[in-house]
Formats: sequence, structure tokens, C-alpha cells
Amino acid sequence: MKSQASLENLLQSVGNVTEFLRNQQVGPNVYPGVPAEYTNWRDEQRAWQKTCVLFNQSYHMADLLVEGPGAIKLLSYLGVNSFQGFAINKAKQFVPCTDDGYVIGDVILFYLGANQFNLVGRAPVLNWVRFHAETGGYDVRVELDERSARRTDGRRKSYRFQIQGPNALQVISKAIGSQAPDLKFFNMATLKIGGKVVRALRHGMVGQPGFEVFGSWEDGETVRTALIEAGEEFGLRLVGARAYSSNTLESGWIPSPLPAVYTGAAMKKYREWLPADGYEGSCSIGGSFVSPNIENYYTTPWDLGYGPFVKFDHDFIGRDALERMAKGPHRRKVTLALDVEDTLRVMSSMFHKDSRAKAFEFPSAVYSMHPFDQVLVGDRPAGISTWIGYSSNEGKMLTLAMVDEEHAQPGTSVSLLWGEEGGGTRKPTVEPHVQSTIRAVVSPVPYSEVARDSYADGWRTRRT
Amino acid sequence: MSTATTHLNCKRAHMAYKSLQDKLDHVGSPVEMLRNSQAGPYVYPIPAEFSNWRDEQRAWRETVALMDQSFHMTDLYLQGPDVMRLISHLGVNAFNGFGRNKAKQFVACNHDGYVIGDMILFGLEDDQVSLVGRPAVANWVQFNAETGEYNVKVDRDERTISNPKARKTFRYEIQGPKAIKLLEILNGGPLPDIKFFNMGSTRIAGHTVRALKHGMGGAPGLEFWGPVELGPEIKAAILEAGQEFGLQQIGGRAYGSVAVESGWIPSPMPAIYSGERMKPFREWLKPDSFEAIASLGGSYYSDNIEDYYFSPWDLDYGRLIKFDHDFVGREALQRLSGEAHRQKVTLEWNSEDVLSVYGSLLHDGPSGKYMEMPSAHYATLPFDKVLSNGHMVGVSTYPAYTVNEKRWLSLAVIEAAQAATGSAVSILWGEENGGSIRPVVERHQQKEIRAIVHPWPFPKEARTAYRPLSSQVPK
Repeated sequence: MKSQASLENLLQSVGNVTEFLRNQQVGPNVYPGVPAEYTNWRDEQRAWQKTCVLFNQSYHMADLLVEGPGAIKLLSYLGVNSFQGFAINKAKQFVPCTDDGYVIGDVILFYLGANQFNLVGRAPVLNWVRFHAETGGYDVRVELDERSARRTDGRRKSYRFQIQGPNALQVISKAIGSQAPDLKFFNMATLKIGGKVVRALRHGMVGQPGFEVFGSWEDGETVRTALIEAGEEFGLRLVGARAYSSNTLESGWIPSPLPAVYTGAAMKKYREWLPADGYEGSCSIGGSFVSPNIENYYTTPWDLGYGPFVKFDHDFIGRDALERMAKGPHRRKVTLALDVEDTLRVMSSMFHKDSRAKAFEFPSAVYSMHPFDQVLVGDRPAGISTWIGYSSNEGKMLTLAMVDEEHAQPGTSVSLLWGEEGGGTRKPTVEPHVQSTIRAVVSPVPYSEVARDSYADGWRTRRT
Repeated sequence: MSTATTHLNCKRAHMAYKSLQDKLDHVGSPVEMLRNSQAGPYVYPIPAEFSNWRDEQRAWRETVALMDQSFHMTDLYLQGPDVMRLISHLGVNAFNGFGRNKAKQFVACNHDGYVIGDMILFGLEDDQVSLVGRPAVANWVQFNAETGEYNVKVDRDERTISNPKARKTFRYEIQGPKAIKLLEILNGGPLPDIKFFNMGSTRIAGHTVRALKHGMGGAPGLEFWGPVELGPEIKAAILEAGQEFGLQQIGGRAYGSVAVESGWIPSPMPAIYSGERMKPFREWLKPDSFEAIASLGGSYYSDNIEDYYFSPWDLDYGRLIKFDHDFVGREALQRLSGEAHRQKVTLEWNSEDVLSVYGSLLHDGPSGKYMEMPSAHYATLPFDKVLSNGHMVGVSTYPAYTVNEKRWLSLAVIEAAQAATGSAVSILWGEENGGSIRPVVERHQQKEIRAIVHPWPFPKEARTAYRPLSSQVPK
């Protein structure tokens, strides 16, 4: 029995959900546990493309341990993913949906041991799994390890580091004193680093090997120090909070689907179970896309590029709806490369007395937990843009977007409506501003350049 | 080389040296030591942003701002019968009439009349003062107190970055046009009549706290402090009462841009690295002292550290010098007082040229040095060349963007011939040869940025005069 107010109570009291989430009074969402910059974010970004980096992910994600004879039954009933061939020492990107086939979120699911799993990521999926574990009559035990921002003891159950970049294999080999194991993507092995036993997941941005290592919290500093020492000759850089959140613009993962939990009678019991002050009740939506119907912010697995994960080889929540959706049409996940001239025009508004555009923060220009900006072709809606920021590797402002099929071809010209309507919402991260249109070129995910700007010879290209 | 491990090596190196002097003897040149500092970025030890730095900046101009200064400055407490003799021996200022409830901008010089630094001097009692600010002056005063013939007790409360313990006091500042109104509500009635840069007391959340009156942008405000345990309760009361006035808490990023608007140069090069007479002080200074770990950056590069020193007149502290007492540097300053001095000015950076630096991040070819917003300095001691027709005419310090002026500004110290309002100069932005090896410096190309000379603080009349951009922005 829960005595505290539930998400359902909260939603009843706030009126329109969209309006509420778009005007949340939470401050900036700071990536915790590491300094804003260790050196400078330009060189930190460069290192993941040119040498290698250490991402310290020990703080910003929640972990949920799921164990017991009913664990696989529970997880496969919630995930759109196939569980055939899933075995100990493998991992997958686990995507649960609602009955209506909309995404609740995505996390990494680690198959740690017999009947033992760990889920790592944003809270909505973890909450959904906990709810079913507690109310669904499964023979499972779950144990939540909250992210740092929601705890005061300054520690976690595990540390979690990623070594990424072209020299990552060499760093791992040096750290373990032998050739790094030749693992397939998303497979795990047990290694010894700094005298400590660590689990390692083969990870990596496209075309480049990388490892995610984790182990018990107490060993974290020893392992981190050993990795830094091993990395010294390979140009390893530590990545601070500012560069970290821009990494996904190059790797192509959309971190911010809105959990599709705010509507529907079928989800009411869940909303009554969720607390008012949890993730779902305190997250924010930002950007130029506005719909009074919160369901217009929901995404399908195909929108996010997870269509290939949807496997109708098992029974799971949302299956019927997804089978109906499967034949399409679907939005496609793309990268948008923002036009240089328009980007600079928006930046130049910092010199205007009035009519300033929403400021572009560098390198990540995200100002809410769930950014939703309109993508337009002419005056007509063509999709939604989410994460946005600058990559010094590409020398571009990039966004991750979901656009209608007809506009998804690389090279297509679209535009992004940057900023919020009516001078901006009341979110503390939003200063008064006006909206501005920025031309953009549809590009692949992960990003690769398709065309130079048509205005490359303009006056702004002169160098002083 | 990985900077994480370099940083570890530096820690070991601090321990290996006995003093700043010892470190300088090994490194050779103070300029090389400072320019190759392996310190990472300096971060104000408060949240980067509470809401967003644009609205935070706007608050100190349009409504009311709360600045939490409890962490980033060093406090030096001095007590005893010889306190006044000690401080008047080290300060260029007049000390007639100084005592309880008086405050001053205390400026200390070396024997040659060059500035070591400035701190705020608070008269806590007639025989007790505190000095608050960057550590350079605190170090110099503490050295003299401990090694000279003074009956003075020294109690040092080090800034948070070099201090694992809790601080002794909280220190808050409330500024902006609604500051007095808010303080009156907190006080439960009109504030006591405190003159500018004098101290008094006010009540907040049922506690009496001592306060200094000063202001920003022409509007008065108070800085106040008290036992650190009361800090959270007092802050909570301020935030609650401040809501109706649109109070914003100032985060670390906006805080770094306060000085350029108010016209204070936070970063004179401490004039302590050269000269035999300062050698005992350098031997006293620890190898991890502020002077040993500070970083020097920017386009101005001279192998002679003395070229970075300022006279009090350069910083517009000439008006504070009083030859009514004997003090360190007096003779030199009397000699210098008849000479030509440089002038402190505000530089208004050309908006098109600033944009071309951002443009270089997006176009092919080398990038300019990234300009962090709102404060773009990347060293403890930023020194950029100011040029006129290709000749160097001065140095520019902290550049910052402010939404209140809608432009980039910096404070500079330039030759009198170029200091007239409206003079056209330029700033060389970035470091030579692709940049120094400091961790905060990415490879980049120097860019020349045009600028217009203005008085300091940046005058109201200048606000509307010059609109350089023709482009239509949002559409």
C-alpha cells in the first residue's frame, strides 16, 4: 500500500498534462558525479573520435536488479525484443511498450547469471518493470539502485565506466595485460583490471570498438585509476559532463522518448502505483512542438529506430497494437545537420536588444529532459527533432530527429523551428525569446556528411 | 599525455618542492610556470546555473539577485593591538578614521610600487579586521604578520577549493534595483542608514547579521555574513521573500561575468615573482599556494614577468593612494605618481568579429579559441594583447557577454593616448602557435577582434549608440 500521492493524483490536479510538463519548475539537468570539464569539451569530444575516452557512467542512470525463476518470463512479457538465444553474458537494448504500442523507454538489459538480470538507464522502464514484478504474481525479486541525483549517500551499488574510441582496444589490452577478448557486440566477459575482477560489455560507437566495465562500487576508484594509467600512452581523456551529453549526437541514440504512461484506462493502475514525485511526475518537455494531447508526444519503436527489435515470436504487452502498426508508414530516425548561416544568424541575436532567439548552449543545447522541436518542410509538419548540440568533430550543429518517410532521404532540405512559442514557457531554463527557423539537411544516423552548406562562400566565411 | 595523470603528477610535484621559490628555481621562469600550469578549468564552487545564466544576469540589472559568496574567496582574520599598524604598513590606502564598521578596497603593492592585489577590508572591531578576496593579498599580509614584529593574531579561513573543511561564515550578497525593498521586508522595516562602503547590521529570519553596503550598476545592495550554521536558514528566508520580486540565484557561470559589468578587474598579476626583496615571501609561500598554481593565458606573451605587473593607476586605484602614512612601496609610488599611467577602460567587442569566432567552429579550417558564454576567460590571469594599428597598446582581461548590454565586453588597461572614448582598437584573441599546453586550451588560431574604447563601468549612453549587426535575426 502506498500512502503518498500518486502520479494519477498529480495528473488529476494539474489539468492539462502537456502544459504541466512543459512548465516544470525543475532547474537544469546536470550530468552528475563528474566535473563539467576535465580539460575542455572541444578536446574531450575530439578524443572519442581520434584517440579514446573514459566515460564515467556511475552516477546518472538507475539500476534495477531482477532475479528469480520468473525473471525471464517477466522481462519477455514486457519487452518487444526477442529473447530467443538470449543467454548469460549477453546484453540487449530492452524496449517495453504500452498496450497501445507506444514506447515507455529503453534501457540496457544485462544477463548477468542464472535467473539474474540488471537493467540500466532512465527510470521509466525500471519503474514499469518494478510495477509488474510487484503486482503481476511473478516469482521474482527486484532491487532498485537509484541514480545519484535521487540519493544522498554519495555512493552506488556499482561503478560503470566506458572506454570508447579508436584506441579503446589497446587501452583495455594494456589494462588487463593481454590481448583484449574478441567479443561480439553486446557480449560480456570477465576481466581483471587493477587487480579487481570486472565485467566487461563489448560496446562501441559504429565502426569503433569500445567496452563498458562495471563492478562493485568499492573497486571503482582502483579500476578507474588503472584504466587512466593504461590509457596515458593512447591519448585517453576523461570526459566531463558538458561533452558527455553531446556524444549521442554522433552515436545516434535518442535518450529522451517521453514515457507513454500519462493516458489510457489500461495504464491507470500503473499511474496509481507511480509516485507523484518520481521521474514521470517531475520530468520536463521543451521545444517548439506543442500539442494539448500528450499522446502526440508518444513514440513508436520504429520512430526511434527500434523497429528491428520488435519480434512477434513471443507474447508481450503491446503486441497486438504493434502488429497493426508494423506495416507502416513509420517515421525514420535521422540526423539533421543545421545550416551554418542560419545557426550563426540565430547566435547573432545575442547582440539584439529584443527578439533574441533561444540561446544555444555548447556543446549540448538541450534545455529540457524531453526536447520536442518541430521539423517542417515548407510550412507543413514533417517530424520531430529531439537532442541538439554541437560536434567539434563534425564542425556542425546536429540534432537527432524522427521524420516522415517521405522526407527521410539523406540530402532532403527541411527546417527546424527553434525555441518555444509565445516568448517561451515558464521552465527555469528558458529565458524570454522568440522562435527562429533554421534550415537543415537530413543526414544519416550515425551522422555522416551529405552536403556542404549552399552558403559556404558567404561573407561570414571570411577569416580574420 | 593524459591530463588526468598529469594532474596526479602535479600533485606529487607540489609536495616535492619546498616553496614557491623552490619551484621557480626548478622551473626557471615564472612566466613558463604560469603559462604551462596543468590546472583544469576553474569552476566557481556553486551550481553552474540555477535557472539559466541569461535570466540570472538580467536579474541583477532588472529585479534582484542573490549571490552566494560563501565559498570562492579567502577570508583572513587579524586581531590584536598592532592590527592597524600592520595593515597601514601594507596598504596604499588612507587609514585615518578606519575602525569598526568601516570597509575599504585594500590595495597592497610591492616595494617597487606594483600591485600585489586587492581585497575587501572589513573593520570588524577597532582591533579586528578581516580581508576577503583572492588569496594573493591574504598571503602577503599573513607573511608580514607572522614574520614581522606585530602583536597580531592571524586566523585564516581558506577558500573552498583549497579547503576540505567547512567555512566559518556564510556570505551572501543581494543586488539589483529591488534589493533594498527585499532587504526591508526581510528586516521587518526600513534598513538602518548605512553609508556606501560602511557596515551596519540587518535582520533576516530572526537573526541579526552584519552587512556591508555596496552596489552594482548604480543600485545599492548589501553584502552580509554570519556563522555558517545559519546560512541555509537565512538563504531559505531570502528565497521565499524574494519570489515576489523575481529573485534569481546567481550560478557559477553568470557570476563570472559580474566583474566586467561592475568594472572590477579581479586578476592583477601578483607582483611577487621577481626582485630580491620579495624573495623571503616566495620562500614562505607554499608550493601549492595560489601564486604557484595560478594559470596565465591569452595572447600577451612576454618572458619577463614584470611586464605583466600593474601599477595602482593602471587599475584606477591611483585615487586610493594616500601618502599620509608609511607603507611598502611608498617611495616608488611617489616617484611613479608624476609619470604617465595607463588607463583602465571597457572594451566593446565588435559583434561581427565575435560571430566570426563562432563561425569558425562551423566552417572548414582552423577554429578560433572557443568563447565560453557568458565568461570566456580560460586562465586565472587572462592577458590578451590590445592593438592599435598593429602596435600593442595594452592588455585586455576577462571578456564576458552580458544580456544586459547585449554585447561582449572586457576590461582593459591601455595607454592614455588610445584611452579616449570611441577610440578604435583591436584585441588579439587566442594564444600563439596553436595554443599553450594547458588542459583548458584546445588547438586554435588567433583572431583579431575590433573593439571600441569606453569608460568603466560601461556607460548607459553607450547602450543604444552602436548597433553593428545588419542581419535580420529570428524569423
